[in-house]
Amino acid sequence: MASVKLTNVKKIYDSNDGSHSKDYVVAVQDFNLEIKDKEFVVFVGPSGCGKSTTLRMIAGLEEISDGTVEIDGLVVNDLQPKDRDIAMVFQNYALYPHMTVYDNIAFSLRLQKMPEDEVYERVTRAAEILGITDYLMRKPRALSGGQRQRVAIGRAMVRDSKVFLMDEPLSNLDAKLRNQMRAEIILLRQKLDTTFIYVTHDQTEAMTLGDRIVIMKDGFIQQVGTPSEVFDMPKNLFVAEFIGAPKMNIIKTRLQKEGEAYFVSPYGVRMPVDGEKGAALKGASAREQEILLGIRPEHISLFFEAEKGRIPCRLAVKEMMGSELHLHVTVEDGSRLIIRIPTLGLSEEEKKSLEQGAALYLGVESKAMHFFSEETEENILV
Amino acid sequence: MQTTTNTPVKQHMGMKKKARISNTFIYIILILMSIIWLFPFVSIVLQSFRGGPVKGMTNEIIPKIWSLENYKALANTDFFKWYLNTLIAALATSLLQTVIVLCMSYTLSRFRFKLRKGLMRFMLILGMFPGMLAMIILYRVLKDLGLTQANAVPGLILVYVASSGMGYYISKGFFDTIPKSLDEAARIDGATRAQVLTKIILPLAKPIVIYTILTSFMAPWGDFVFARYISFGSSEGMNVAVGLYNWLNADQINSSYTMFCAGGVIVAIPVTIVFMCLQKYYVEGVTGGAVKG
Amino acid sequence: MKQYTDLEYLKLSKFRRGLHKLAAFFLSIPRAIAGLFVKIGLFLKNAALAVGREIKDIFLTFKNGDWKTRLSFFIMGFGNLSRGQILRGVLFLLFQAVFIFFMVKPTGGLYWLSMLPSLGKEGPGKAYDPVYDTYVTAFNDNSFQILLYGVLTIFFIIACVITWRINVRQNKLAQQILDSGKPLKSGKDDLRSMVDDNFHKTLLALPLAGILIFTVMPIVFMILVAFTNYDGAHDGYTNALFTWVGLENINTMLGIGAGSKVYAATFGEILLWTLMWAFFATFTNYFLGMLVAMMINKKGIQFKKGWRTILVMTIAIPQFISLLYVSKMFAQNGMVNQFLQSIGVLKGLNYIPFLSKEWPARISVILINIWIGIPYVMLIATGILMNIPQDLYESAKIDGASGWKQYTKITLPYMLFITGPYLLTTFTSNMNNFNVIYLLTSGGPPNPTASSAAGSVGFTDLLITWLFKITTGAESQYYFASVIGILVFIVVAIISLVVYNLLPSVKNEEDFQ
Repeated sequence: MASVKLTNVKKIYDSNDGSHSKDYVVAVQDFNLEIKDKEFVVFVGPSGCGKSTTLRMIAGLEEISDGTVEIDGLVVNDLQPKDRDIAMVFQNYALYPHMTVYDNIAFSLRLQKMPEDEVYERVTRAAEILGITDYLMRKPRALSGGQRQRVAIGRAMVRDSKVFLMDEPLSNLDAKLRNQMRAEIILLRQKLDTTFIYVTHDQTEAMTLGDRIVIMKDGFIQQVGTPSEVFDMPKNLFVAEFIGAPKMNIIKTRLQKEGEAYFVSPYGVRMPVDGEKGAALKGASAREQEILLGIRPEHISLFFEAEKGRIPCRLAVKEMMGSELHLHVTVEDGSRLIIRIPTLGLSEEEKKSLEQGAALYLGVESKAMHFFSEETEENILV
Repeated sequence: MQTTTNTPVKQHMGMKKKARISNTFIYIILILMSIIWLFPFVSIVLQSFRGGPVKGMTNEIIPKIWSLENYKALANTDFFKWYLNTLIAALATSLLQTVIVLCMSYTLSRFRFKLRKGLMRFMLILGMFPGMLAMIILYRVLKDLGLTQANAVPGLILVYVASSGMGYYISKGFFDTIPKSLDEAARIDGATRAQVLTKIILPLAKPIVIYTILTSFMAPWGDFVFARYISFGSSEGMNVAVGLYNWLNADQINSSYTMFCAGGVIVAIPVTIVFMCLQKYYVEGVTGGAVKG
Repeated sequence: MKQYTDLEYLKLSKFRRGLHKLAAFFLSIPRAIAGLFVKIGLFLKNAALAVGREIKDIFLTFKNGDWKTRLSFFIMGFGNLSRGQILRGVLFLLFQAVFIFFMVKPTGGLYWLSMLPSLGKEGPGKAYDPVYDTYVTAFNDNSFQILLYGVLTIFFIIACVITWRINVRQNKLAQQILDSGKPLKSGKDDLRSMVDDNFHKTLLALPLAGILIFTVMPIVFMILVAFTNYDGAHDGYTNALFTWVGLENINTMLGIGAGSKVYAATFGEILLWTLMWAFFATFTNYFLGMLVAMMINKKGIQFKKGWRTILVMTIAIPQFISLLYVSKMFAQNGMVNQFLQSIGVLKGLNYIPFLSKEWPARISVILINIWIGIPYVMLIATGILMNIPQDLYESAKIDGASGWKQYTKITLPYMLFITGPYLLTTFTSNMNNFNVIYLLTSGGPPNPTASSAAGSVGFTDLLITWLFKITTGAESQYYFASVIGILVFIVVAIISLVVYNLLPSVKNEEDFQ
């Protein structure tokens, strides 16, 4: 039940072996973020982007090289983890192997010298919420992955701490269990009603869990926003490619102007940029330039007949995903695009004609287009 | 294996036969080895029960006259004094040395402080000096402090324990295998660093704690060099190794050889029993240590 | 040497490849040594730079400090006291007081330092005080004490400089913290951090103090002894003072300059045997131990635990008992010879000189050492063999590898890779394996060519047993013991560093992971 504020937080690792004094690695650069009370914020990014390091700095497990971390308005830079009033769930659960589930969950409460009957009260309540009451007397090694995960969450839950930190809590689970636990974390969040900071490398988790998402790369924040903001208006090429699966299609082309109207011509097929996007380009008074045109696979429409303004291509690989099809197509210059179409939208005949080498035609509406400057890879409209 | 034209059954029997021959061969070697390895111990026990007028070495592998007189004779010597000295030194050493080794190895495994690597390298280099060299000066200093000769035991304990921090390798290797996230989880749960050690790490490090206690308990029983330096000819302050060694000197061997055997048996029995009971932990420590390097 | 590209190398014949590898190995040795010197140079350079930075920081602290800080340069802890950190202040002040008292008292630090260059002026024979505790005064000069306390004083001065530096830094930090408007840590905070933030300092204090006093200090002292004439006839107190003699002892030992080369010859002979012994002791145990482990581990062998236990017994029984007993078994009139005489294999009083002729003795100690060493290696090898992934063997079998090929292509490389560092430490500790040699042969049989020169040197003496004999012998030439100790260190250090850097497990850490 607290706000968290990071101001110019920086993490520099010295390679402290004494021989080469100049070697250091900047893991986190000028991290600025204000997390509101009861907000669920997700840090997401590829491995080595500094997301876990940032979380660990908030927890007090890593020293903060520069900048300040505040919890509820109090600077905690110099406080030990135990004095920061935080709870944390670790990637490998970090359950104490020599203690029973009950003792694991009760550990922090006993360190606070809480009376045993209250400890009992709290542990059993948490166990009930998580559905692990039956395992309270077991040791961690006798539990399955999902059960261990619940115990780890239970251990963090009983503390009623201000901030709840989770460091890739689901990445050690198999795909099925991960989906199930994800739903449970959403439920848990409703019950706990506290501030959450969640670290993951999985964009699906980030999108489904977060009120706000912080996308990081190489120690820098790339974009902060709600899931729909980062999906609809990616600030740069990295965010655009990172969020969404399959990956956004990127086509090298040129943004051109004819009178007041903008148009692009991917693979030589001229497409006007009108509507909202056209107005936005006008509003930003975008100049003619080389761009990377981004189109999400699900925003490309598939046609079986050629027509002006459609990109001709041939089907290379077809992946049947059940409710939808992923089509990998080859355009005339040899580059590949991915299209995602719902199976329901196709007639039996059309499905049959989707064979390797089949000629297909792609249509793109201008509201589905994202424009990134080729030079800076920044979104022209953000 | 080229006999592919044979029926599978025949081929199977051929393999079995081959295996049986090589296994028999191995059994023979193992039995021979067992005899060679056990012979000295069986022999020393047998010699310790040898009675009769000849107390020196003989060709009797199995004694002609059986008797307990060698054990009885030990009571008239300083043997039990030496035994007590060694026992006290071993108990004190195992306690203190374990504490020191654990402090050292836990710190080097868990804390990342500025001089950590330098410290480890420094200790590695120190370890390349023969430890015996330090004995010359330590003897003079301990003598000044009155901790030699008859009072050798406290001096001996001091020497054994003082530098034991350098033997941190094996237990540090073990601590390194305990995931660090356990420490971190405990610290977030509200534990101080000291509580992390006592409540989380030590309970998990039981095998290596027992290994350290065991090896530091056994070392003083076999130490010859330091004990000989510090006791310096005073029978009062000797340990069993020095005392029994003297019985095999050319001028004593003909009167004390069988007594040496009896003394050896009395020394070996408790140590061997303790060792065999805790064998599991010893094996774990030794193998882990070698793999870690 | 010709450099091949990967593809060229693969085209070479097997023999040429082996030749190439061998050449590469020997060529890499000088590079490893050179690398060592480069490392040492870099270290020194960085150390000098660090000292420079420290000095600069000290000046800046003084320049930018307030009066409290500046006064603390002379009265340690003043800054802490005046800023309310009573505990730290009192400790600093106390340290300074003790230091000054120690330095200026009559036979204190300054006295020891002043005597250090001469190691004493007044020899024995004058007023001699037999009182035991000689901490305060010695009526006659005592070279040993002068050297010892001189070294201690230097240690103390270094400690004082470091403490003073910490004191200065703390003033700087305190000033910075106060300027930024934050409170300073109180004594209570300091005490609390001893079990938390600074727990490592608490834990290390005792072990490091022990190492400093009982290992570092004696080693420094003994290195210095190598440059004196400290021996039984010059014990520095009761019979004669000892004094500095420069490099004389080292020159004698290494046969440099004029004078007898007997020591150098003896040293060379013993060093050669020490290396030979270490080599055979290490590798016979290693390979035979591995073989035993593989035999016990073989499928279809029963009582695996039982066989192992029988071998492990040898570890349990204190070495001095088993080794002394075995040495007597193989003595001239020992059980084995007497038994062989009684059954008529040996005629009359003939005997086999197991431990009493040069080469039989050397071979015997190596063989007996196998008896000692196999159980250890067997345990280690068993642990590692069980960890070799079985699919390696399965795929080798499918590829058509015979048992021997499986051993040379999988088992052995895997073992060597994992136990490389262990082999190295075993080799160096075998070089210093006092117990096995001394308890079996006491270094004997005597070596007639050497014994006149440096005590009673024998054919199985290692450097370490020689060192022991020199210090306990009649002449007690401590300076020679010290020189040998230093030379042992140099040999061990060179072998360790060179081999360590050539080890595959250090070079390609990921190969088998």
